[in-house]
Amino acid sequence: MLDRKEWADLEPVPQDDGPNPVVKIAYSEKFSDVYDYFRALLKKDERSERAFALTAEAIELNAANYTVWHYRRVLLQALSKDLREEMRYITNIIEEQPKNYQVWHHRRMVVEWLGDPSEELEFIAQILSQDAKNYHAWQHRQWVIQEYKLWDKELAFVESLLEDDVRNNSAWNQRHFVISHTTGFSEPAVVERETQYCLNQIRKAPHNESVWNYLKGMLQDRGLSSQPGLLEKVLELKETHCSPYLLAFLFDCYEDALENGVPKDSLDQGCQETLEKALEICKLLAQEKDTIRKEYWQFLGRSLQDRYGGEVSPGDATPTAPASEPQQIS
Amino acid sequence: MAEEEKQFEEFEQIDFLKDRHVRFFHRTLQVLPERYASLETTRLSILFFALSGLDVLDALDVVDSNIMIEWIYSLQVLPTEDKSNLSCCGFRGSSHIGVPYSTKGPGVVHPYDSGHIAMTYTGLCSLLILGDDLSRVNKQGCLAGVRALQLEDGSFYAVPEGSENDIRFIYCAACICYMLDDWSGMDIQKAIEYIRGSLSYDNAFGQGAGRESHGGWTFCAIASLCLMGRLEEALSQRELDRIRRWCIMRQQSGFHGRPNKPVDTCYSFWVGATLELLDVFRYTNFEKNRNFILSTQDRLVGGFAKWPDSHPDPLHAYLGLCGLSLIGEPSLRKVHPALNITQRAFQHLQQLQQTWRESTNSCGGQH
Repeated sequence: MLDRKEWADLEPVPQDDGPNPVVKIAYSEKFSDVYDYFRALLKKDERSERAFALTAEAIELNAANYTVWHYRRVLLQALSKDLREEMRYITNIIEEQPKNYQVWHHRRMVVEWLGDPSEELEFIAQILSQDAKNYHAWQHRQWVIQEYKLWDKELAFVESLLEDDVRNNSAWNQRHFVISHTTGFSEPAVVERETQYCLNQIRKAPHNESVWNYLKGMLQDRGLSSQPGLLEKVLELKETHCSPYLLAFLFDCYEDALENGVPKDSLDQGCQETLEKALEICKLLAQEKDTIRKEYWQFLGRSLQDRYGGEVSPGDATPTAPASEPQQIS
Repeated sequence: MAEEEKQFEEFEQIDFLKDRHVRFFHRTLQVLPERYASLETTRLSILFFALSGLDVLDALDVVDSNIMIEWIYSLQVLPTEDKSNLSCCGFRGSSHIGVPYSTKGPGVVHPYDSGHIAMTYTGLCSLLILGDDLSRVNKQGCLAGVRALQLEDGSFYAVPEGSENDIRFIYCAACICYMLDDWSGMDIQKAIEYIRGSLSYDNAFGQGAGRESHGGWTFCAIASLCLMGRLEEALSQRELDRIRRWCIMRQQSGFHGRPNKPVDTCYSFWVGATLELLDVFRYTNFEKNRNFILSTQDRLVGGFAKWPDSHPDPLHAYLGLCGLSLIGEPSLRKVHPALNITQRAFQHLQQLQQTWRESTNSCGGQH
């Protein structure tokens, strides 16, 4: 309980939910005590050491209370508190509660005030070692790197994480982030290197959506079918390292060819052949390799047929109408 | 013997325990133990989950609407006499700041009293669900409060004192403007720019530019654009097709939020609703989705958890129900996929908006 003498001058302010509180949380006396005095300080906007100390107690009871954090920041500045000590404080709290929005925001504010990001990359790496996909941690990392131009060692960091877990989608995203902000993806040498990197990772772990998304993402706007030799390599991999993602990628290559690479004349052999290959992929996915998305692959097949097919035979459904009965679950 | 066992298994699998969920939400409305302390500043959103959940279950009759409505209005930050706090107006998440209970204006002068954008959004939804006519909502205040939260880059803060800023709060702002039928609360063009900027290389949306694409933020992006009526203006057909692909690939049994992450009940709504808005939800596998959601059902206390054999919470309980509603579970009301309230509550909103428009057509205007 709070030392009554120290707080005797203040009238505590209870929460007031009126005559009929809703979604009420049943607080212990100790909890209410801390927050009743917190509310009293807030009302006065008191700028004092005792207020600062109380924010720590309030945070310990509920670190998600953004008003407490804001008030603490006001006090940090008003009392010219030691920001290095605050960094130590927030480091400990984040380690205990790494998925809380307020604590990361607070850390960002302190780093900004100090103008010193020197501890950040190591700290975030620490947090990521406990949960390599923590969204808050990655967000903070991107902010630090972009704000303070700390790009240098990040690609190496990403690669080490991908060594640990080649399926870490956050790491793949970070890879794209680093490269797009440094060398960019326009240089053919970069594209070649990244393509090779992806193919190697696919060979090691074929069933990995992240790597296929990265490869497609990098190439999709310059035309998947226009990458020399890529289609052939993917067709090779299809025999030994197949996955739904590989097949979807193939489909996208064929669709790209139909859209961009090949004359639209439906009587053209090349176009007809490409369309048939694409439809075969849809069928393979729907019937065997990705049956959970059967309806979707069939829909894509119909759409493609409708756009690039020559004669439309009677009984062909239009792309917007489902070919099968609406799903019933009872 | 084997046949009976199989039937029992199937029966267990498809057994949707409606009554338990009604009781779960009913309990949520009353008292929560201290270990829920971290929800204090967001209690109004918890109320929304419970009310909207009961609405989806067609069980709002267990609720005393008047009590709820009064409590919600007590959370409104109203303009002070001199209107100097307009940028702070909206709804609070709870009474945690310590302002005395009041459902009437003028607003109280307090150095730290302000609304929270997500609480303004869920507060308005809750009022609509309860059948309120929003006549006690200070629209000028709410809209000024929302406007004040938008940054140069188009995203929004949650509170005027500052907070993190990202796509979640664009969604809240869009819902508020949509419900109040007044888009002066935000710069739509800037918001669209931020949303487009959040489109990742893998064809879905992160919380902001460069960030990992994610089912929740993708919902915020697409739902916001739909509410603004700008979906096809902001995104090309090719982009939309690619987004459809990313979203539909999230189904593993139920849905997950990011590639190579475990499935989680709430994504049955976030991703499901996005797919519905993009008109391809019907191509998902309803049975597997349903089986997963029901596997996270708590058969004892009701509600749903993110995973099987985990503790249920109001958010997952509500979104689990919404996920089931999307696939047409018979005993559940339909949900508006962008606004995330029942179609019933949405119709009430439409009627209200009709009334507002009619009353602004003054001076001999013919309908």
